[in-house]
Amino acid sequence: MFSFLFKKGHRVERLIYAYLENIKRSQESFANALRECFLHGERCENFEFYLQQTHKYESKADDVRQEINDLMYGKALIPDSRGDIMGLMAALDVVPHRFESILYMIQTQRLQLPDFLKVDLKALVDLCLETCDLLYRQTEALFQKSDHIRELLTTIDTNESHCDHFERTLITKIFDSDIDPFLKLQLKDLIVEIGEIANQADRVSKRINIISLKRRV
Amino acid sequence: MLSLLGGVFLGWSLGANDAANVFGTAVSARMLRFGTAAALAAVFVVIGALMEGQAAIDTLTGLTRMGLSQAVIASVAAAATVSAMTLLGQPVSTSQAVVGAILGIGLLNGQLNLNGLTKVLLCWLGTPVGGALMAMVLFFTLGTLYNRLHLNLFQSDFWLRLALILAGSYGAYALGANNVANVTAVFVGAGLLDSFQAALIGGGSIAAGILTFSRPVMATVGRRLVALDPFSALVVVLSLAVTVHFYTLLGVPVSTSQAVVGAVLGIGLIKGVNTVSRRTLQQICLAWFLTPMVSCCLSLAIFFATHLRYVPPQ
Repeated sequence: MFSFLFKKGHRVERLIYAYLENIKRSQESFANALRECFLHGERCENFEFYLQQTHKYESKADDVRQEINDLMYGKALIPDSRGDIMGLMAALDVVPHRFESILYMIQTQRLQLPDFLKVDLKALVDLCLETCDLLYRQTEALFQKSDHIRELLTTIDTNESHCDHFERTLITKIFDSDIDPFLKLQLKDLIVEIGEIANQADRVSKRINIISLKRRV
Repeated sequence: MLSLLGGVFLGWSLGANDAANVFGTAVSARMLRFGTAAALAAVFVVIGALMEGQAAIDTLTGLTRMGLSQAVIASVAAAATVSAMTLLGQPVSTSQAVVGAILGIGLLNGQLNLNGLTKVLLCWLGTPVGGALMAMVLFFTLGTLYNRLHLNLFQSDFWLRLALILAGSYGAYALGANNVANVTAVFVGAGLLDSFQAALIGGGSIAAGILTFSRPVMATVGRRLVALDPFSALVVVLSLAVTVHFYTLLGVPVSTSQAVVGAVLGIGLIKGVNTVSRRTLQQICLAWFLTPMVSCCLSLAIFFATHLRYVPPQ
Protein backbone atom coordinates (compact mmCIF):
# COMPACT_ATOMS: atom_id res chain seq x y z
CA MET A 1 0.00 0.00 0.00
CA PHE A 2 2.81 2.39 0.90
CA SER A 3 5.36 0.92 -1.51
CA PHE A 4 5.30 4.07 -3.67
CA LEU A 5 7.12 5.79 -0.82
CA PHE A 6 9.99 3.32 -0.99
CA LYS A 7 10.82 3.06 -4.69
CA LYS A 8 14.38 4.27 -4.16
CA GLY A 9 15.01 1.56 -1.58
CA HIS A 10 13.96 -1.17 -4.02
CA ARG A 11 16.17 0.35 -6.70
CA VAL A 12 19.16 0.39 -4.35
CA GLU A 13 18.52 -3.29 -3.57
CA ARG A 14 18.53 -4.20 -7.28
CA LEU A 15 21.70 -2.17 -7.89
CA ILE A 16 23.54 -3.87 -5.03
CA TYR A 17 22.86 -7.28 -6.61
CA ALA A 18 24.04 -5.90 -9.98
CA TYR A 19 27.18 -4.60 -8.27
CA LEU A 20 27.88 -8.00 -6.70
CA GLU A 21 27.35 -9.71 -10.08
CA ASN A 22 29.97 -7.44 -11.66
CA ILE A 23 32.60 -8.04 -9.00
CA LYS A 24 31.96 -11.80 -9.23
CA ARG A 25 32.63 -11.61 -12.99
CA SER A 26 35.70 -9.49 -12.39
CA GLN A 27 36.92 -12.17 -9.96
CA GLU A 28 36.21 -14.91 -12.50
CA SER A 29 38.42 -13.20 -15.09
CA PHE A 30 41.10 -12.55 -12.48
CA ALA A 31 41.06 -16.23 -11.46
CA ASN A 32 41.29 -17.34 -15.11
CA ALA A 33 44.20 -14.98 -15.74
CA LEU A 34 46.14 -16.35 -12.75
CA ARG A 35 45.25 -20.05 -13.13
CA GLU A 36 45.62 -20.31 -16.89
CA CYS A 37 48.37 -17.82 -17.56
CA PHE A 38 50.51 -17.20 -14.48
CA LEU A 39 50.53 -20.16 -12.13
CA HIS A 40 51.76 -22.42 -14.95
CA GLY A 41 54.94 -20.38 -15.07
CA GLU A 42 54.59 -18.88 -18.53
CA ARG A 43 52.33 -16.12 -19.75
CA CYS A 44 49.68 -17.24 -22.25
CA GLU A 45 47.96 -15.30 -25.02
CA ASN A 46 44.73 -15.02 -23.10
CA PHE A 47 46.30 -13.05 -20.26
CA GLU A 48 45.61 -9.68 -21.91
CA PHE A 49 42.02 -10.70 -22.64
CA TYR A 50 41.40 -11.73 -19.03
CA LEU A 51 43.04 -8.54 -17.83
CA GLN A 52 40.71 -6.48 -20.03
CA GLN A 53 37.71 -8.47 -18.80
CA THR A 54 38.75 -7.95 -15.16
CA HIS A 55 39.10 -4.23 -15.82
CA LYS A 56 35.78 -4.10 -17.71
CA TYR A 57 33.76 -5.66 -14.90
CA GLU A 58 35.60 -3.70 -12.23
CA SER A 59 34.76 -0.54 -14.15
CA LYS A 60 31.11 -1.60 -14.51
CA ALA A 61 30.97 -2.27 -10.79
CA ASP A 62 32.35 1.24 -10.22
CA ASP A 63 29.57 2.71 -12.36
CA VAL A 64 26.91 0.79 -10.45
CA ARG A 65 28.43 1.89 -7.15
CA GLN A 66 28.32 5.50 -8.33
CA GLU A 67 24.64 5.05 -9.18
CA ILE A 68 24.01 3.63 -5.69
CA ASN A 69 25.81 6.60 -4.14
CA ASP A 70 23.74 9.04 -6.23
CA LEU A 71 20.57 7.38 -4.96
CA MET A 72 21.88 7.60 -1.40
CA TYR A 73 22.59 11.31 -1.80
CA GLY A 74 19.06 11.51 -3.24
CA LYS A 75 17.91 10.42 0.23
CA ALA A 76 16.95 6.82 -0.46
CA LEU A 77 16.63 4.75 2.73
CA ILE A 78 16.94 5.99 6.29
CA PRO A 79 20.21 7.78 7.22
CA ASP A 80 21.52 4.87 9.27
CA SER A 81 21.11 2.45 6.36
CA ARG A 82 22.56 5.00 3.92
CA GLY A 83 25.78 5.28 5.89
CA ASP A 84 26.03 1.51 6.33
CA ILE A 85 25.49 0.74 2.64
CA MET A 86 27.84 3.43 1.36
CA GLY A 87 30.53 2.31 3.80
CA LEU A 88 30.02 -1.33 2.81
CA MET A 89 30.22 -0.51 -0.90
CA ALA A 90 33.42 1.48 -0.40
CA ALA A 91 34.98 -1.42 1.51
CA LEU A 92 33.81 -4.04 -1.01
CA ASP A 93 35.11 -1.98 -3.89
CA VAL A 94 38.68 -2.44 -2.69
CA VAL A 95 38.49 -6.14 -3.64
CA PRO A 96 38.04 -5.80 -7.46
CA HIS A 97 40.53 -2.91 -7.44
CA ARG A 98 43.03 -5.31 -5.98
CA PHE A 99 42.26 -7.96 -8.66
CA GLU A 100 43.03 -5.38 -11.30
CA SER A 101 46.18 -4.02 -9.65
CA ILE A 102 47.60 -7.55 -9.21
CA LEU A 103 47.13 -8.32 -12.91
CA TYR A 104 48.67 -4.96 -13.90
CA MET A 105 51.59 -5.73 -11.58
CA ILE A 106 52.17 -9.04 -13.39
CA GLN A 107 51.75 -7.40 -16.80
CA THR A 108 53.85 -4.26 -16.33
CA GLN A 109 56.66 -5.93 -14.36
CA ARG A 110 56.61 -8.97 -16.69
CA LEU A 111 56.67 -11.29 -13.71
CA GLN A 112 57.43 -14.96 -14.17
CA LEU A 113 56.68 -17.45 -11.42
CA PRO A 114 59.58 -19.74 -10.42
CA ASP A 115 58.62 -23.45 -10.27
CA PHE A 116 59.28 -23.85 -6.54
CA LEU A 117 56.51 -21.35 -5.71
CA LYS A 118 53.76 -22.75 -7.96
CA VAL A 119 52.06 -25.12 -5.54
CA ASP A 120 52.05 -22.78 -2.56
CA LEU A 121 51.00 -19.74 -4.59
CA LYS A 122 48.16 -21.71 -6.15
CA ALA A 123 46.99 -22.67 -2.66
CA LEU A 124 47.15 -19.02 -1.57
CA VAL A 125 45.22 -17.80 -4.65
CA ASP A 126 42.57 -20.54 -4.27
CA LEU A 127 42.05 -19.75 -0.61
CA CYS A 128 41.85 -15.99 -1.23
CA LEU A 129 39.27 -16.51 -3.98
CA GLU A 130 37.28 -18.91 -1.80
CA THR A 131 37.30 -16.24 0.93
CA CYS A 132 35.92 -13.73 -1.58
CA ASP A 133 33.15 -16.17 -2.55
CA LEU A 134 32.23 -16.49 1.12
CA LEU A 135 32.24 -12.70 1.40
CA TYR A 136 29.76 -12.38 -1.48
CA ARG A 137 27.54 -14.97 0.20
CA GLN A 138 27.75 -13.02 3.44
CA THR A 139 26.90 -9.76 1.65
CA GLU A 140 23.86 -11.41 0.04
CA ALA A 141 22.88 -12.84 3.43
CA LEU A 142 22.81 -9.30 4.81
CA PHE A 143 20.24 -8.30 2.20
CA GLN A 144 18.23 -11.50 2.49
CA LYS A 145 16.56 -13.26 5.38
CA SER A 146 19.53 -15.28 6.60
CA ASP A 147 21.04 -16.24 9.92
CA HIS A 148 24.39 -17.34 8.46
CA ILE A 149 26.22 -14.03 8.76
CA ARG A 150 28.01 -14.99 11.97
CA GLU A 151 29.03 -18.44 10.67
CA LEU A 152 30.41 -16.95 7.47
CA LEU A 153 32.33 -14.38 9.52
CA THR A 154 34.04 -17.19 11.43
CA THR A 155 34.93 -19.11 8.25
CA ILE A 156 36.28 -15.98 6.54
CA ASP A 157 38.35 -15.16 9.61
CA THR A 158 39.81 -18.69 9.65
CA ASN A 159 40.59 -18.50 5.92
CA GLU A 160 42.31 -15.15 6.38
CA SER A 161 44.56 -16.69 9.07
CA HIS A 162 45.44 -19.55 6.72
CA CYS A 163 46.21 -17.05 3.96
CA ASP A 164 48.59 -15.23 6.31
CA HIS A 165 50.30 -18.55 6.98
CA PHE A 166 50.67 -19.28 3.24
CA GLU A 167 51.94 -15.76 2.71
CA ARG A 168 54.67 -16.15 5.33
CA THR A 169 55.66 -19.58 3.94
CA LEU A 170 55.93 -18.20 0.42
CA ILE A 171 57.95 -15.14 1.43
CA THR A 172 60.31 -17.32 3.47
CA LYS A 173 60.80 -19.64 0.48
CA ILE A 174 61.49 -16.67 -1.79
CA PHE A 175 64.18 -15.24 0.47
CA ASP A 176 65.68 -18.70 1.10
CA SER A 177 66.10 -19.20 -2.65
CA ASP A 178 68.99 -17.99 -4.79
CA ILE A 179 66.92 -16.13 -7.40
CA ASP A 180 67.76 -12.58 -8.39
CA PRO A 181 67.32 -10.25 -5.35
CA PHE A 182 65.31 -7.80 -7.44
CA LEU A 183 62.90 -10.59 -8.46
CA LYS A 184 62.66 -11.61 -4.78
CA LEU A 185 61.32 -8.15 -3.92
CA GLN A 186 58.91 -8.17 -6.86
CA LEU A 187 57.52 -11.59 -5.93
CA LYS A 188 57.25 -10.62 -2.28
CA ASP A 189 55.21 -7.56 -3.24
CA LEU A 190 52.98 -9.70 -5.44
CA ILE A 191 52.34 -12.20 -2.64
CA VAL A 192 51.59 -9.46 -0.13
CA GLU A 193 49.18 -7.93 -2.65
CA ILE A 194 47.40 -11.28 -3.19
CA GLY A 195 47.24 -11.86 0.58
CA GLU A 196 45.63 -8.43 0.96
CA ILE A 197 42.57 -9.77 -0.90
CA ALA A 198 41.82 -12.09 2.03
CA ASN A 199 42.68 -9.36 4.54
CA GLN A 200 40.22 -6.98 2.89
CA ALA A 201 37.55 -9.72 2.70
CA ASP A 202 38.01 -10.21 6.44
CA ARG A 203 37.63 -6.46 7.11
CA VAL A 204 34.45 -6.26 5.01
CA SER A 205 33.09 -9.39 6.68
CA LYS A 206 33.52 -7.83 10.13
CA ARG A 207 31.78 -4.66 8.91
CA ILE A 208 28.85 -6.76 7.62
CA ASN A 209 28.56 -8.46 10.98
CA ILE A 210 28.40 -5.08 12.73
CA ILE A 211 25.75 -3.81 10.27
CA SER A 212 23.72 -6.94 11.01
CA LEU A 213 24.15 -6.62 14.79
CA LYS A 214 23.08 -2.98 14.67
CA ARG A 215 19.71 -4.16 13.42
CA ARG A 216 19.04 -6.14 16.58
CA VAL A 217 17.35 -4.27 19.40
CA MET B 1 -14.93 37.11 15.38
CA LEU B 2 -12.00 39.49 15.98
CA SER B 3 -12.05 38.26 19.57
CA LEU B 4 -10.80 34.91 18.31
CA LEU B 5 -7.59 36.33 16.87
CA GLY B 6 -5.54 35.76 20.04
CA GLY B 7 -6.60 32.11 20.11
CA VAL B 8 -5.96 31.63 16.41
CA PHE B 9 -2.49 33.11 16.80
CA LEU B 10 -1.86 30.78 19.74
CA GLY B 11 -3.02 27.80 17.65
CA TRP B 12 -0.83 28.87 14.74
CA SER B 13 2.31 29.12 16.93
CA LEU B 14 1.42 25.81 18.62
CA GLY B 15 1.19 24.10 15.23
CA ALA B 16 4.43 25.67 14.03
CA ASN B 17 6.31 24.51 17.15
CA ASP B 18 4.78 21.21 18.26
CA ALA B 19 4.51 19.44 14.89
CA ALA B 20 8.29 19.10 15.14
CA ASN B 21 7.86 16.73 18.08
CA VAL B 22 5.91 14.24 15.98
CA PHE B 23 7.46 14.53 12.51
CA GLY B 24 10.77 16.30 13.23
CA THR B 25 12.78 13.08 13.21
CA ALA B 26 11.44 11.84 9.89
CA VAL B 27 11.71 15.20 8.13
CA SER B 28 15.10 16.36 9.33
CA ALA B 29 16.55 12.93 8.49
CA ARG B 30 14.88 13.14 5.05
CA MET B 31 12.93 9.95 5.65
CA LEU B 32 9.86 11.92 4.66
CA ARG B 33 9.39 15.08 2.62
CA PHE B 34 8.32 18.14 4.56
CA GLY B 35 5.24 18.58 2.35
CA THR B 36 4.05 15.02 3.00
CA ALA B 37 4.76 15.29 6.74
CA ALA B 38 3.05 18.67 7.04
CA ALA B 39 0.00 17.46 5.09
CA LEU B 40 -0.31 14.31 7.23
CA ALA B 41 0.19 16.29 10.45
CA ALA B 42 -2.35 18.96 9.44
CA VAL B 43 -5.01 16.41 8.48
CA PHE B 44 -4.55 14.28 11.61
CA VAL B 45 -4.43 17.31 13.93
CA VAL B 46 -7.85 18.42 12.65
CA ILE B 47 -9.24 14.86 12.87
CA GLY B 48 -7.89 14.52 16.42
CA ALA B 49 -9.35 17.87 17.44
CA LEU B 50 -12.78 17.01 16.05
CA MET B 51 -12.87 13.43 17.32
CA GLU B 52 -11.46 13.77 20.83
CA GLY B 53 -10.84 17.45 21.56
CA GLN B 54 -14.01 17.74 23.64
CA ALA B 55 -12.66 16.28 26.90
CA ALA B 56 -9.77 18.71 27.32
CA ILE B 57 -12.00 21.63 26.28
CA ASP B 58 -14.41 20.64 29.06
CA THR B 59 -11.56 20.51 31.62
CA LEU B 60 -10.23 23.97 30.78
CA THR B 61 -13.73 25.42 30.54
CA GLY B 62 -14.47 24.01 33.99
CA LEU B 63 -11.48 25.70 35.66
CA THR B 64 -13.33 29.02 36.00
CA ARG B 65 -16.17 31.00 34.51
CA MET B 66 -15.29 33.95 32.37
CA GLY B 67 -16.87 36.57 30.14
CA LEU B 68 -15.88 37.24 26.53
CA SER B 69 -13.48 40.07 27.36
CA GLN B 70 -11.79 37.87 29.98
CA ALA B 71 -11.50 35.02 27.45
CA VAL B 72 -9.81 37.36 24.99
CA ILE B 73 -7.46 38.58 27.74
CA ALA B 74 -6.61 34.95 28.69
CA SER B 75 -5.84 33.94 25.11
CA VAL B 76 -3.79 37.09 24.41
CA ALA B 77 -1.86 36.64 27.68
CA ALA B 78 -1.10 33.01 26.83
CA ALA B 79 -0.08 33.87 23.26
CA ALA B 80 2.13 36.73 24.44
CA THR B 81 3.76 34.48 27.07
CA VAL B 82 4.52 31.77 24.50
CA SER B 83 5.92 34.34 22.04
CA ALA B 84 7.97 36.22 24.63
CA MET B 85 9.47 33.09 26.19
CA THR B 86 10.25 31.65 22.77
CA LEU B 87 12.00 34.91 21.81
CA LEU B 88 13.94 34.79 25.11
CA GLY B 89 14.98 31.22 24.33
CA GLN B 90 13.18 29.87 27.40
CA PRO B 91 11.35 26.54 27.31
CA VAL B 92 7.63 27.04 27.08
CA SER B 93 4.54 24.88 27.06
CA THR B 94 1.38 26.25 25.45
CA SER B 95 -0.78 24.14 27.78
CA GLN B 96 0.94 25.62 30.82
CA ALA B 97 0.66 29.17 29.43
CA VAL B 98 -3.08 28.78 28.83
CA VAL B 99 -3.76 27.27 32.25
CA GLY B 100 -1.68 30.06 33.84
CA ALA B 101 -3.74 32.71 32.06
CA ILE B 102 -7.03 31.04 33.08
CA LEU B 103 -5.69 30.86 36.63
CA GLY B 104 -5.14 34.65 36.56
CA ILE B 105 -8.71 35.27 35.41
CA GLY B 106 -9.99 32.78 38.01
CA LEU B 107 -8.14 34.64 40.78
CA LEU B 108 -9.70 37.90 39.61
CA ASN B 109 -13.15 36.39 39.64
CA GLY B 110 -12.46 34.75 42.99
CA GLN B 111 -13.69 31.53 41.48
CA LEU B 112 -11.35 28.66 40.77
CA ASN B 113 -12.04 24.94 40.42
CA LEU B 114 -9.26 23.63 42.68
CA ASN B 115 -10.03 19.98 41.97
CA GLY B 116 -9.68 20.56 38.24
CA LEU B 117 -6.49 22.55 38.77
CA THR B 118 -4.95 19.81 40.94
CA LYS B 119 -5.76 17.22 38.27
CA VAL B 120 -4.05 19.39 35.64
CA LEU B 121 -0.96 19.97 37.80
CA LEU B 122 -0.60 16.25 38.53
CA CYS B 123 -0.88 15.45 34.84
CA TRP B 124 1.86 17.97 34.04
CA LEU B 125 4.17 16.19 36.46
CA GLY B 126 3.09 12.87 34.99
CA THR B 127 3.78 13.81 31.36
CA PRO B 128 7.56 13.28 31.24
CA VAL B 129 7.27 10.36 33.68
CA GLY B 130 4.55 8.78 31.52
CA GLY B 131 6.66 9.38 28.41
CA ALA B 132 9.64 7.64 30.03
CA LEU B 133 7.59 4.64 31.26
CA MET B 134 5.82 4.27 27.93
CA ALA B 135 9.16 4.39 26.08
CA MET B 136 10.55 1.62 28.29
CA VAL B 137 7.50 -0.61 27.82
CA LEU B 138 7.38 -0.04 24.06
CA PHE B 139 11.12 -0.51 23.67
CA PHE B 140 10.96 -3.97 25.26
CA THR B 141 7.75 -5.18 23.61
CA LEU B 142 8.39 -3.80 20.12
CA GLY B 143 12.08 -4.72 20.40
CA THR B 144 11.23 -8.36 21.12
CA LEU B 145 8.83 -8.44 18.18
CA TYR B 146 11.35 -6.73 15.88
CA ASN B 147 14.09 -9.21 16.80
CA ARG B 148 11.79 -12.19 16.20
CA LEU B 149 10.96 -11.01 12.69
CA HIS B 150 14.62 -11.40 11.55
CA LEU B 151 14.26 -8.64 9.00
CA ASN B 152 17.00 -7.98 6.49
CA LEU B 153 18.41 -4.49 6.00
CA PHE B 154 15.88 -3.40 3.36
CA GLN B 155 12.87 -4.90 5.15
CA SER B 156 14.00 -3.29 8.40
CA ASP B 157 14.38 0.04 6.59
CA PHE B 158 10.93 -0.27 4.98
CA TRP B 159 9.08 -1.14 8.19
CA LEU B 160 10.88 1.46 10.30
CA ARG B 161 10.01 4.21 7.84
CA LEU B 162 6.41 3.08 7.56
CA ALA B 163 6.09 2.76 11.33
CA LEU B 164 7.56 6.22 11.81
CA ILE B 165 5.00 7.70 9.40
CA LEU B 166 2.14 5.90 11.15
CA ALA B 167 3.44 6.83 14.63
CA GLY B 168 3.87 10.45 13.50
CA SER B 169 0.32 10.54 12.17
CA TYR B 170 -0.96 9.10 15.44
CA GLY B 171 1.15 11.68 17.29
CA ALA B 172 -0.44 14.46 15.21
CA TYR B 173 -3.90 13.05 16.01
CA ALA B 174 -3.05 13.05 19.73
CA LEU B 175 -1.61 16.57 19.47
CA GLY B 176 -4.81 17.87 17.88
CA ALA B 177 -7.05 16.04 20.35
CA ASN B 178 -5.05 17.18 23.36
CA ASN B 179 -3.91 20.69 22.53
CA VAL B 180 -6.95 22.08 20.72
CA ALA B 181 -8.34 23.01 24.13
CA ASN B 182 -5.43 25.43 24.62
CA VAL B 183 -6.48 27.34 21.56
CA THR B 184 -10.22 27.79 21.88
CA ALA B 185 -11.42 26.41 25.24
CA VAL B 186 -11.60 29.90 26.78
CA PHE B 187 -14.04 30.96 24.06
CA VAL B 188 -16.27 27.99 24.82
CA GLY B 189 -16.25 29.08 28.48
CA ALA B 190 -17.22 32.59 27.38
CA GLY B 191 -20.09 31.25 25.30
CA LEU B 192 -18.68 32.52 21.99
CA LEU B 193 -18.23 29.06 20.45
CA ASP B 194 -19.72 25.64 20.91
CA SER B 195 -17.42 22.63 21.30
CA PHE B 196 -17.56 21.59 17.64
CA GLN B 197 -16.78 25.11 16.42
CA ALA B 198 -13.97 25.35 18.98
CA ALA B 199 -12.45 22.05 17.81
CA LEU B 200 -12.77 23.06 14.15
CA ILE B 201 -11.28 26.55 14.53
CA GLY B 202 -8.62 25.34 16.98
CA GLY B 203 -7.65 22.35 14.82
CA GLY B 204 -7.64 24.56 11.73
CA SER B 205 -5.35 27.16 13.27
CA ILE B 206 -2.93 24.46 14.52
CA ALA B 207 -2.97 22.94 11.03
CA ALA B 208 -2.28 26.39 9.51
CA GLY B 209 0.77 26.74 11.78
CA ILE B 210 2.02 23.32 10.68
CA LEU B 211 1.54 24.05 6.98
CA THR B 212 3.04 27.54 7.00
CA PHE B 213 5.81 27.70 9.57
CA SER B 214 6.82 24.31 10.97
CA ARG B 215 9.59 23.53 8.45
CA PRO B 216 12.48 25.34 10.25
CA VAL B 217 11.36 24.09 13.67
CA MET B 218 11.12 20.51 12.38
CA ALA B 219 14.65 20.76 11.00
CA THR B 220 16.01 22.10 14.30
CA VAL B 221 14.08 19.93 16.76
CA GLY B 222 14.38 16.80 14.64
CA ARG B 223 18.17 16.89 14.67
CA ARG B 224 18.16 16.52 18.44
CA LEU B 225 16.39 13.19 18.06
CA VAL B 226 18.30 11.88 15.05
CA ALA B 227 21.21 11.08 17.36
CA LEU B 228 19.04 8.14 18.43
CA ASP B 229 19.06 5.03 16.28
CA PRO B 230 15.97 4.68 14.01
CA PHE B 231 14.25 2.11 16.23
CA SER B 232 14.67 4.28 19.34
CA ALA B 233 13.43 7.33 17.41
CA LEU B 234 10.30 5.35 16.47
CA VAL B 235 9.78 4.35 20.10
CA VAL B 236 10.13 8.00 21.18
CA VAL B 237 7.51 9.23 18.68
CA LEU B 238 5.12 6.39 19.53
CA SER B 239 5.58 6.98 23.27
CA LEU B 240 4.82 10.65 22.79
CA ALA B 241 1.64 9.78 20.87
CA VAL B 242 0.41 7.21 23.42
CA THR B 243 1.24 9.42 26.42
CA VAL B 244 -0.43 12.52 24.99
CA HIS B 245 -3.43 10.45 23.88
CA PHE B 246 -3.70 8.98 27.39
CA TYR B 247 -3.90 12.49 28.89
CA THR B 248 -6.41 13.42 26.20
CA LEU B 249 -8.67 10.66 27.50
CA LEU B 250 -8.22 12.13 30.99
CA GLY B 251 -9.15 15.50 29.49
CA VAL B 252 -5.96 17.34 30.39
CA PRO B 253 -3.88 19.32 27.89
CA VAL B 254 -0.18 18.54 28.33
CA SER B 255 3.12 19.47 26.71
CA THR B 256 4.24 17.28 23.78
CA SER B 257 7.81 18.58 24.21
CA GLN B 258 7.91 17.30 27.79
CA ALA B 259 6.51 13.93 26.69
CA VAL B 260 9.32 13.67 24.11
CA VAL B 261 12.00 14.54 26.67
CA GLY B 262 10.54 11.90 29.01
CA ALA B 263 10.57 9.28 26.26
CA VAL B 264 14.18 10.06 25.31
CA LEU B 265 15.10 9.81 28.99
CA GLY B 266 13.36 6.39 29.15
CA ILE B 267 15.42 5.14 26.19
CA GLY B 268 18.56 6.41 27.93
CA LEU B 269 17.65 4.54 31.13
CA ILE B 270 17.25 1.27 29.21
CA LYS B 271 20.48 1.67 27.30
CA GLY B 272 22.40 2.94 30.30
CA VAL B 273 23.41 6.14 28.56
CA ASN B 274 22.77 9.77 29.34
CA THR B 275 20.38 10.89 26.61
CA VAL B 276 19.02 13.96 28.38
CA SER B 277 21.25 16.57 29.97
CA ARG B 278 20.70 17.89 33.46
CA ARG B 279 20.18 21.30 31.85
CA THR B 280 17.17 19.98 29.86
CA LEU B 281 15.62 18.58 33.05
CA GLN B 282 16.23 21.89 34.82
CA GLN B 283 14.55 23.67 31.91
CA ILE B 284 11.45 21.46 32.25
CA CYS B 285 11.22 22.21 35.98
CA LEU B 286 11.67 25.91 35.21
CA ALA B 287 8.96 25.73 32.53
CA TRP B 288 6.55 24.07 34.99
CA PHE B 289 6.97 27.01 37.34
CA LEU B 290 7.78 29.96 35.09
CA THR B 291 5.33 29.57 32.18
CA PRO B 292 2.07 29.49 34.20
CA MET B 293 3.38 32.20 36.55
CA VAL B 294 4.31 34.58 33.72
CA SER B 295 1.05 33.91 31.90
CA CYS B 296 -1.00 34.35 35.08
CA CYS B 297 0.72 37.67 35.89
CA LEU B 298 0.32 38.83 32.30
CA SER B 299 -3.40 38.10 32.22
CA LEU B 300 -3.80 40.06 35.48
CA ALA B 301 -1.72 42.93 34.10
CA ILE B 302 -3.70 43.04 30.83
CA PHE B 303 -6.95 42.94 32.76
CA PHE B 304 -5.95 45.88 34.95
CA ALA B 305 -4.55 47.79 31.98
CA THR B 306 -7.79 47.41 30.03
CA HIS B 307 -9.82 48.55 33.04
CA LEU B 308 -7.85 51.70 33.77
CA ARG B 309 -9.99 54.79 33.57
CA TYR B 310 -8.93 58.34 33.07
CA VAL B 311 -10.21 60.42 35.99
CA PRO B 312 -9.93 64.14 35.12
CA PRO B 313 -8.61 66.35 37.91
CA GLN B 314 -11.38 68.23 39.65
